[in-house]
Amino acid sequence: MVARLLFVFLLLLSSHGWAAEPPVRVGVLAYRGEEHAAVVWEPTIRYLGDHFPGRGAEMVALDLAGMDAAVQNRTVDLILTNTGNYVDLEARYGVTRIATLQSGRSSGNAIGSAIVVRADRRDLTALRDLRGRTLMAIDPDAFGGFQVAWGELLDAGVDPFRDLKDLRFSGFPVDRVAFAVRDGTVDAGVLRACVLEELAAEGRIDPATFRVLGPRTASDFACAHSTDLYPDWPLARLAGTPEGLAKQAVVALFQMPPNHPAAKAGGYQGWAVPRDYQPVHALFRSLRIGPYRSLRDVSLVDLARENWHWLALAALALLWWAAHSLRVEHLIKVRTAELRAVNLDLLREMAERRRAEENARERQREIDHVARLSILGEMASNLAHELNQPLGAIANYARGCTRRLEAGTGRPAELADATRAIADQADRAAHIIARIRNFVRKRAPQIEAVDINDAVRAAAALCADRARSAGIAVTLDLADGLPRVAADAVQIEQVILNLMKNGLDAMEGCPPADGIAVRSGLDGEGRVTVTVADRGHGLSAEARERLFDPFFTTKPEGMGLGLSICRTILESHGGHLWAADNPGGGVEMRFVLPAAQEQKTP
Amino acid sequence: MSHDASHDAESSTPPRTVYVVDDDPAMRHSLGWLIGSLGLEVQSFASAEEFLRALKPDRPGCLVTDVRMPGMSGLELQDTLARAGSLLSVVVVTGHADVPMAVRALRAGAVDFIEKPFNDQLLLDRVHEALEKSRRAWESAERKRAIRALIGRLTPRERQVAALVVAGKPNKVIAAEINLSMKTVEVHRHNVMDKLEVASVADLTRLLLEAE
Repeated sequence: MVARLLFVFLLLLSSHGWAAEPPVRVGVLAYRGEEHAAVVWEPTIRYLGDHFPGRGAEMVALDLAGMDAAVQNRTVDLILTNTGNYVDLEARYGVTRIATLQSGRSSGNAIGSAIVVRADRRDLTALRDLRGRTLMAIDPDAFGGFQVAWGELLDAGVDPFRDLKDLRFSGFPVDRVAFAVRDGTVDAGVLRACVLEELAAEGRIDPATFRVLGPRTASDFACAHSTDLYPDWPLARLAGTPEGLAKQAVVALFQMPPNHPAAKAGGYQGWAVPRDYQPVHALFRSLRIGPYRSLRDVSLVDLARENWHWLALAALALLWWAAHSLRVEHLIKVRTAELRAVNLDLLREMAERRRAEENARERQREIDHVARLSILGEMASNLAHELNQPLGAIANYARGCTRRLEAGTGRPAELADATRAIADQADRAAHIIARIRNFVRKRAPQIEAVDINDAVRAAAALCADRARSAGIAVTLDLADGLPRVAADAVQIEQVILNLMKNGLDAMEGCPPADGIAVRSGLDGEGRVTVTVADRGHGLSAEARERLFDPFFTTKPEGMGLGLSICRTILESHGGHLWAADNPGGGVEMRFVLPAAQEQKTP
Repeated sequence: MSHDASHDAESSTPPRTVYVVDDDPAMRHSLGWLIGSLGLEVQSFASAEEFLRALKPDRPGCLVTDVRMPGMSGLELQDTLARAGSLLSVVVVTGHADVPMAVRALRAGAVDFIEKPFNDQLLLDRVHEALEKSRRAWESAERKRAIRALIGRLTPRERQVAALVVAGKPNKVIAAEINLSMKTVEVHRHNVMDKLEVASVADLTRLLLEAE
């Protein structure tokens, strides 16, 4: 409020005195109030005013906010402020230091912090020991009285706002901090470097009571301190301050003689060329204060920056995971689709194959059937003859009966014998028909345990008439106690009949004394074998080679399918068919079939 | 019904026996039954060989045989019988007829070649026919045997004279040829006519021709 009033007053002043050149206005940071500022800085301003003849200079005491406003509104020409505030204004408003205060304690930088503990605190030997302790400083805005120490503590791994048990600010006067440490109210205190020495010189403390933590040494700095040293207060001009004015001011300050009352009042030795304030910027940046205050608001960003490698790793991991997930998801989708497609293909293929197999089986059945029809067709006259035997016999018996009855000569016992014989022959005819029907019936194969000898006998019965009419003897040499074979009885019968018929065909025109022989037995591997041996002309080399080729035949009327079909049938039963020479001349056709697994009967 | 070859036929009585050879038992048996209905004696055999073993070659009768049989076929049996001078008449019955076979059978003297299935009347007629033919052959054979028996009673000189008489030579020529007197030749000639129970040279000639 005071500042505002002052400001308005100054505005009025300036407008009134426009005709003459107004005095140079020097804004001074009054960090401990106007009064204190006037005592300390008024002489210096007056000294400056003496060097602006006809114009003079006036001091404008400003607090931090007032300083900010004055610079922003350019209501001052020069400013004299502490290091921290200067850096802030420099960054924000482009003020430029033109001289740096030269304290009496050092020819170089003279602002630092001393972090003090009671000398007898053996447990506190380094800055990091302050973790979990209580600390007292002057003010959060105090440069040497807190901010410099703050930076140093951070460097030592102790964040005063986080890692301490308590952080207190005492405010002025600064001796409060020293007393609190001395009295053990706090574990440690922050003082601007040299304050401890000043207090001791004033006799207000006993320096032996205190110890400085993490003491540094600097060749031209006599005070104990725990931190880097920074430049002292600067005098700065605003961006719009005329060059000449600034130059005049600098020249005046540089020419200030030592021990000038102004210097004494200000507690300094003189003024020097402006120092490098960059380290202050660096400090403020790391503390995120002053011009770098805004960094605080984006601490998350900063945190991220500090931990960028972890974040990057995490991001990378996340990215990788996301990419991986996506990829896996994608792959799964692709694979699933592929699998589904393949599956569909497979199903379709299986269905097709099943269909094809079913078709093939159906065709094979047709072929087998046609083959059976064909083989019986070739023997049709024989079968007719065979059927004619019982039919003829029946006719004979019946007519014999009729004649006897008509002649009245038949004795009842005789007639009864004849009619019984008629019935027997009717049965015989029926059996023949059943056998033929069974053989040529179109049917699905039925696998059952088949006695191979039964199949041989059935086949032999079918071709018996043929053999008989050709005058060819058929010998059956069947082994007893053979295991059964898992087979379709009719198909096996078909094979045997085919082989026997081939044998009979081969022996057409041969001496009838030589017959065909059908033998059954076991081979060395426990398989059932059947051999059909003829005494015919044997096989030529070509015939032997092409024996099982479809449509290969040596017979004028033959289709050449018989043996090919026989082999197919046997192989579908897990068996095999081959031809060999009959040692006595002719051909031996032989096949093997695996024995059926013995079924365990409970 | 029928009787398998168990006893010899009576060679002195007219032959009425029918022999059946067929390898199919039912066919063989039923044929016997059918033929037996005529009141004929029937003997049946399962094979040609069995029949030949049981039969005397000069036995008359009717043979009904199948053609195709294991071992000797019906036609071979027919040949064998013919070579042996059998008096049997043959009826061939077969289910496997073909023309060359029938021709061969008929040329070899078969009464007929009948294809199964057959008309029973046809078969029975042929059996009758065969029996008749065989009977005639048997009678002819019997007569020949009787003539030969008569001839057997002639002395060698009488047989010499008989042959010359049949050759149509007068007694005078005969006497000269065999260096006998006319008188002796006449006595021999008379004895021949007497022993052979013929009255004329024509009868004598017929008798001797029959005996050939």
